[in-house]
Amino acid sequence: MKIIAWLAGVGTLIASGGYMVVSLNRWEWNRALFFGLIFLIAEVALATALILRRLTRLEGRFDPAVEGIIRATRPPARDRFAWLNESAQNSNVFITFIVGGGIILSGIAWLVDRIAAGTTTPAGEQKLASALAPISYPRGGLLLDDITVLAQEVPGADDRQIRKLLRRAGHTS
Amino acid sequence: MNRVAAVVLAIVGLAIGILGVGVLREATLSTHDAIRPGSQVELLIEGDVNQNERTQTLAEMVEAQVLVCRLEVKSDLVGEIEERDDGSFRALLAPGLDETDRRQFRGCLEDWVIDGVRLDVIALNTLPS
Repeated sequence: MKIIAWLAGVGTLIASGGYMVVSLNRWEWNRALFFGLIFLIAEVALATALILRRLTRLEGRFDPAVEGIIRATRPPARDRFAWLNESAQNSNVFITFIVGGGIILSGIAWLVDRIAAGTTTPAGEQKLASALAPISYPRGGLLLDDITVLAQEVPGADDRQIRKLLRRAGHTS
Repeated sequence: MNRVAAVVLAIVGLAIGILGVGVLREATLSTHDAIRPGSQVELLIEGDVNQNERTQTLAEMVEAQVLVCRLEVKSDLVGEIEERDDGSFRALLAPGLDETDRRQFRGCLEDWVIDGVRLDVIALNTLPS
């Protein structure tokens, strides 16, 4: 059975590789892609089978007696979390850290909250509003009133921004 | 197997590989020649469909694949594709095809372009102008 499987795998590899080259030579790209895919599958399958066969052979080479000696003389694995296995009756460093850390973090959060709340008093907001007043929109909006438009007709009056707005509105003066 | 034999085999394998890739490269490289104006190519094909839609005929499938494949070359169809008495199809293309276009066109026609359609090129004759 194994021989049949190996023959099928090798046969598929050779046939698909051959057909891929022939298809490429005939400019049949879709066929070449298909046979290339089959070639790749067969190649991966054969490589996997070879590796597994080699591993099986290596496993078979082990002498059970030697394996037993190796297992028996293996140093014990270090239990790095042995302290977690201690009973709850003893004072536990881990729990202490958790509780203590939580208290400290809560204190820091409360402090940050108080400081942040202190920066948003009504007086502070009014100061901010007055500081931003120079860049705020005009009260009447950006539309020009008639007086401003007429004022532009006065000789010597030259406001570049207003003229720009007038041009956009269709005034040609 | 001794060391010398292994090295010789490796060199032979490498040479065969390089040669094979070179030959394949030459075979798939586009090198176009000048085509005589007014020249025409006669295409004779036979086709087969498998599990096609009931409303689609073999003639429609053949026409579709020929139209797709002629986009890969410089030639255009002249007139309609004729269905002959023996079940094969005949089409005329102009201008003629150079060697690369001829191989590309034949390869496209015989490739798996449309699901369930398989065409065989019987002949691709250059007609005297």
